[in-house]
Amino acid sequence: MIQIEHLHKTYRSGFLMKPKLALKDVSFHVEPGQIYGFIGPNGAGKSTTIKVLTGLLNFDSGKVLVNGISPRDVKSRRFIGYSPEQPYFYDYLTGRELLQFYGKLVGLEGNLLNERITWALQLLHADKDWIDRRLRSYSKGMMQRVGIAQAILGKPKLLILDEPMSGLDPMGRRDVREAILELNRDGVTIFYSSHLLSDVESISHRVAMIVDGRIVREGTVDEITDSCGIEYHVRTREAIAVKDLPEGVVLAGHPQEVICADDVARDRLLRYCLDNSIAVERMEHKRPSLEDVLTEEIARADA
Amino acid sequence: MQTLKHIGIIALNTFRESIRDKILYNIGLLAVGLALFSIVLGEWSVFDRAYVIKSTTLSVMSLSGLLISIFVGISLVQKEIQRRTVLTLLSKPISRATFIVGKYLGLLAVVAVHLALLTCIYYSILFLTNSEPTVSLLTAIYLIFWELAVVIAVALLFSSFSSTTLSALFTLGVYFAGHLSDQLLEQVRFVNKMREVSDSSAALLEKLAVVIHAVFPGLYRYNVTSYVVHGLALPDMYLFWNTVYAIGYVGVFLAIASWWFSRRDFL
Repeated sequence: MIQIEHLHKTYRSGFLMKPKLALKDVSFHVEPGQIYGFIGPNGAGKSTTIKVLTGLLNFDSGKVLVNGISPRDVKSRRFIGYSPEQPYFYDYLTGRELLQFYGKLVGLEGNLLNERITWALQLLHADKDWIDRRLRSYSKGMMQRVGIAQAILGKPKLLILDEPMSGLDPMGRRDVREAILELNRDGVTIFYSSHLLSDVESISHRVAMIVDGRIVREGTVDEITDSCGIEYHVRTREAIAVKDLPEGVVLAGHPQEVICADDVARDRLLRYCLDNSIAVERMEHKRPSLEDVLTEEIARADA
Repeated sequence: MQTLKHIGIIALNTFRESIRDKILYNIGLLAVGLALFSIVLGEWSVFDRAYVIKSTTLSVMSLSGLLISIFVGISLVQKEIQRRTVLTLLSKPISRATFIVGKYLGLLAVVAVHLALLTCIYYSILFLTNSEPTVSLLTAIYLIFWELAVVIAVALLFSSFSSTTLSALFTLGVYFAGHLSDQLLEQVRFVNKMREVSDSSAALLEKLAVVIHAVFPGLYRYNVTSYVVHGLALPDMYLFWNTVYAIGYVGVFLAIASWWFSRRDFL
């Protein structure tokens, strides 16, 4: 559905048009039917990549295809629904008028248009009175829902959402998460960026992590977190002296708790405990979170 | 077919946006006030009352239309970019040329409605003051419309790549150059004929005046107030050729604006 290979994008800014490389050799694929999370710190290149996909930005080099068509071709946008980060709309229109406007642009009219608007609003729990008020009176959360609603009106094959959860309260986040899952069950491919890594972990089939314009990790959440190493937190009935700790095992915050860096260290510790008749009370398999991996990657990029 | 439909949808939205804009009402009220003031001017003036009312109201129509064309025209594209509404709009299956043409037609419709309303007021004033309301006056209004059609295209062209202030200045520049290019060429040729400058300077000056005359749209063609107010006939096919001329310029300006706009990045 999305194919990006060796994408480079440079911005030029200031009086001297100083170049700044925003995307450096970005490559990844999104298969049809996937929910694909795109994560990274602010300014890493998430929105830039999304805007290249939606044809809003030109790019220097590389290959970008959306459903087999270059985003430079208007036809590629027939398959796309897009909601920008912090969507802004014509504030002189009501929410419903806005949806009618965008609906017409994707070829809907008459009863079908009204049915789609009702469907989209219900899916996002936005079928409330405020939809007939002027947009200038909307909160960020209402705007976000209308933004996503306009993106799904045309029943796109690919839904691209830039920070769809930002500005939403916990209920709103849940509604959007559920809407994403339901659309995906209907066969819509979802590509979205988010800062809320817990949400990304819970709903994404695959994730790409971008730091400083480069893709630093790509894969399923498990693949990404596993690649960062698995730790074992072991609690013993009695404390083990530091000098006796096997290689790869360190003390944790508690005197009876130790951390094994990997499987080998875990086995060494268990053998030591067996040999010395030390009972193991609890052993936890600790996988780093996406946040841990991202923090590590940011630190590596800064270094 | 789909493109025409998209142009219509964008034009309609632009029309709706513009008629909800306060600046339009301010200019409209000013125009109505000035048109009514022409009655007072007609009474005070030493000239023929009908002549003063007719020429003043036509000038008011032209001026108020110009203000709308420039101030609303330059903000049409810039507002979309600054408010970032362009991001959602251009992510739909519409080309950037469709966007530009839709915006253009939307504002053109606003100007047409503005002129139509002022025409009603204009004729009411002429009837009320017994100032010989003739159908030929519509000729002047028709040409004002085409003049403004060119001005809107110029405003859109500049606003597709420069700031609002610069776009306003550039558009005003083209407006004045377009109105004065004919006189400039005439003056230069007259001076050259009188041999008041050296040959090389004369040739250079004339070349410059010819270039200005050729490049800038000849907006002076659309000012026929003195003809219609005095009841003089315009040359044959004058309206037809000047309509074609305006459409030609509008086409070129919109094509350049679309080309430029399609190269732009939207952050």
